[in-house]
Amino acid sequence: MTQAPSRERDYRRLSPLTPLVRSFIFLVAVVGSSWQSALHGELGPIGWLLLALALAGLVYGGASWLRTKYWIEADELRVDTGVIGRQSRRIRIDRLQGIDIGQPFVARLFGLAELRMDVAGSGREGSLSYLKLSEAQQLKELLLARRDAVRAGTAQPEQRVDRHEAPERLLTKVSPGMLAASIALSTETAMSLLGAALLIGLAVWADSLAAVGGLFPVLIGAGLVAFRRFSGAYGFTVTEGPAGLQVRRGLFDLDAQTIALPRLQGITITEPLLWRRLGWARLDVSLAGGGRGDDRHGPASSTVLPVGQRALADWLAAHLLGEPLPAESALSRPPARARWVAPIGRRFMAVGADGAVIVAREGWLARRTHLVPHARVQSLRLSQGPVQRLLRLADLHVDSPPGPVRVRGRHRDEAEARALLESESRTSRAARSCQAGDRS
Amino acid sequence: MDEVFAPPGNEWRPVSSALARMRRTVLAGAVLVLAVAVVVVVLTLDVPLWVLAAALVVLLLAGGWGWWLIGRNARYWGYAERDEDLYIKHGALYRRLVAVPYGRMQYVDVTAGPLEQAYGIATVHLHTASPHTSARIPGLPRDEAARLRDRLTSLGEAQAAGL
Repeated sequence: MTQAPSRERDYRRLSPLTPLVRSFIFLVAVVGSSWQSALHGELGPIGWLLLALALAGLVYGGASWLRTKYWIEADELRVDTGVIGRQSRRIRIDRLQGIDIGQPFVARLFGLAELRMDVAGSGREGSLSYLKLSEAQQLKELLLARRDAVRAGTAQPEQRVDRHEAPERLLTKVSPGMLAASIALSTETAMSLLGAALLIGLAVWADSLAAVGGLFPVLIGAGLVAFRRFSGAYGFTVTEGPAGLQVRRGLFDLDAQTIALPRLQGITITEPLLWRRLGWARLDVSLAGGGRGDDRHGPASSTVLPVGQRALADWLAAHLLGEPLPAESALSRPPARARWVAPIGRRFMAVGADGAVIVAREGWLARRTHLVPHARVQSLRLSQGPVQRLLRLADLHVDSPPGPVRVRGRHRDEAEARALLESESRTSRAARSCQAGDRS
Repeated sequence: MDEVFAPPGNEWRPVSSALARMRRTVLAGAVLVLAVAVVVVVLTLDVPLWVLAAALVVLLLAGGWGWWLIGRNARYWGYAERDEDLYIKHGALYRRLVAVPYGRMQYVDVTAGPLEQAYGIATVHLHTASPHTSARIPGLPRDEAARLRDRLTSLGEAQAAGL
């Protein structure tokens, strides 16, 4: 750094409300637990301690806010933090893969938002929390415009890319009723109801109420999980803008996520047992650098449609791929002798390929259809266990980056499996070089 | 050789016989240690000698079986370099075959533990963006491992395709 701290720079700060938002829960707890005794003028030692802690936290938060600055310099977003030791983070703008805006509940009360940046190659996210919502949106637009300018190789980063002009097109919106119904009909709900019925049956049979006592924790837990899924996916809206697909969702915590189509690695359409009768399906995607989606905070970040008619899911999948989905006739089932190793599963397994994608389906309770574009295939594997060798069967695996998508053809005829591996290896090579040609 | 795991075009290149030698040395060492342990236990516990003999025979048989398994497993390792991808196959009971396009490789690891170094061999490991890709070739002579790594790296750069 060349005398950086002394020079005036066009840096900006986070919202001054940041420390308040960060320690909000703690502050509420302190005030909630001791305001009565404080009013009576008899604050106990624990109350004083809590108060001191809260004050210290606020002072530290304020100092941290004072020392946190961010600015854009050359092709980098730089963030300086640290109260005692100083840290300076540089995020290369041309490596930004996606920028998401999130609004946790408390931040939302104050009209603040969090900016999360997905950086290629670093494997971790950078984030700025908290900014005013409008400021976060502005910064996001600015960063994306700058990134496109840097990537296009133009020397003038000041050039404005008119991404405001292009309107966002609404693709789909999930109604709360359908969402609630889909959660009520999920396998988890069915399992917990089954468990409850079992416990009640046990209580009746043993003629004691002790077993019913175990019921409440189970039901409360299941209810909480279901509610979290509902609040996470509430108001699920998918729109299409110039940067890709926009997913917005949330009842308390608002979340907005951009899915850049060039990062798409594959698609999974899931049809749980209880949804099939209604013709409902769920759509998930694997993205490059997306990491494993986890389901703890409602729907995983890989979800593009938490529930919808199968036709809608198919249409969305085809739209994402830019190609029509492969015809049902492209899929073929494993040979009849596979029933010796997969008596039930065999009926639901199928694999096939068309001009654009390789597709596999499996699953009895939840039927999953996995689609991977030929150009996105990483490596191909064949495996054969001793029993499979006796039956002349083999598994074909198509390897994808981490995510929900997993194309595999299980228990295929062994000669067919090898032929599939060879043909897919040729097709994906051709698709790759075709794509590389497009890019240059 | 069965057709499903047949080489793509040219022959499979085998791994070094030093791999089996190394593993057999480890096995022999383990059998020896166990034999000593058995002798000590039997002598201190004062049990009849035929028990000792039976235990040693069982141990020897197990060792012999392991000896044979190691040889068979090493024979089943093979790899084939092609113009645009690398094929690796292994496993006698559970057979595996993997095809990795050079353009998909993210990096190549060459590792050699102390024991491998003593036998002059190394393991080459190919990584793609998928954690499921299990492309590993153990027991390559050191020069061959270095040559393969250099070739894979240069081919990987030449044919690299973005995600």
